[in-house]
Amino acid sequence: MRTPADIIGVVQPLIPALRRYARALLRDRDDADDLVQDVLERAVARWHLRQGASPRPWLFAILHNLAIDRLRQRGRRGIPLQLDAVPEERLAAPASQEASVDQADILTLISRLPEEHRSVLLLIGVEELSYAEAATVLGVAQGTIMSRLSRARERLRRMAEETGGASLRPSLRIVS
Amino acid sequence: MSKTPVTEAELQAHVDGRLPPERSAEVEAWLADHPDEARRLSSYRSQRDALRAALDPVLDEPVPLALDLRIGEPARRRWTGGGRPLVAASAAGLLLLGGAGGWTLRDWSAPPSVGTAGLAREAISSFAVYASDSTRPVELAADHQRALDGWFSERLSRPVSAPNLEAAGLHLIGGRLVASEHGPAGLYLYRNAAGESVALYVRPMDVEKTDRMTSRGEKGVRGWTWADDGLGFGVFGSAPDGYLHDTANLVRAQFRKA
Repeated sequence: MRTPADIIGVVQPLIPALRRYARALLRDRDDADDLVQDVLERAVARWHLRQGASPRPWLFAILHNLAIDRLRQRGRRGIPLQLDAVPEERLAAPASQEASVDQADILTLISRLPEEHRSVLLLIGVEELSYAEAATVLGVAQGTIMSRLSRARERLRRMAEETGGASLRPSLRIVS
Repeated sequence: MSKTPVTEAELQAHVDGRLPPERSAEVEAWLADHPDEARRLSSYRSQRDALRAALDPVLDEPVPLALDLRIGEPARRRWTGGGRPLVAASAAGLLLLGGAGGWTLRDWSAPPSVGTAGLAREAISSFAVYASDSTRPVELAADHQRALDGWFSERLSRPVSAPNLEAAGLHLIGGRLVASEHGPAGLYLYRNAAGESVALYVRPMDVEKTDRMTSRGEKGVRGWTWADDGLGFGVFGSAPDGYLHDTANLVRAQFRKA
């Protein structure tokens, strides 16, 4: 069965962002794309249940919940959540050699944050959801989003300082 | 200067550029008097920028076929067919979606003789014919690996070399050039201590220049295909699927590093 054109029109433009969020959470390109495929399947099947919900947070909520399930399964199967073993080539393609060092650093740092902190940093900072939309995705109050955001940023700042700090200031870093 | 006290929530919103302009100006003025807080916020901004820089390249990647809603059946589960949703869009669908932008008929009406599905069929045939050949499975043996790599690189018009698969217990026995309808393809053959053969098939891709790793199988031969940056790969054999998958991952990692 072909996907109706109206759904394609709304969902297709959001696929790159869904892939980005999935990859940031799972840190593995194949797993992330597999997850997005699950999301699309569900979204198409349940489109009629959306009932006026804005598509972007609705899709991110499906993605987030499925991602958490997968991370838990990984945990149960004994696969470490911190995926240092995943070669960086399977993550985002780096723009340049120096950038890749810093980008790998920030991804490693956020992988050490609790999941609820990592999600909020990604949804607000990278996906640019509104605070209200992020609250919908994560199923918490907007006040909770604000306090998680504040704690997550501070925690990340401390971690970055402990590991040398330079990782968050790529433009100041010279690698000769 | 504002008399309304600045809140932590406002500072966070300021980092995100989400305060109304008037309030934003007031917070700016407040920050000018609180350099420690200004530094803290600046660090938060750097975090966010670094995170975006690390993840934004994903947006520039082509959307994989398996995720493309404009192609027939978007989300058919892989375990139902062992393959990706194939490009079975009807002419009606084509007319309906013709205006969707940037897409040509050629891009998405590709029959399975092209793309990594086509590559899989070629690789399976090559494996079936050559791996079982007890007289001369390869044209050039592993002790001429340099010549073999040079030959493939020249015919495929890009640097190719036999990956080291010792980690999977596989030793190169050699390779040969094979013909496909898409031009020359390189076939490396490996063997493990148990005598199992594994073929690595590689050729340039016209369609699906980048494609995720996908499980394939036909006539008792199993394996995995993928494409990176215009080069398509197939790892095939009659060994267990997990073993072939591990081998395919080894191959992919080495080619991406090269």
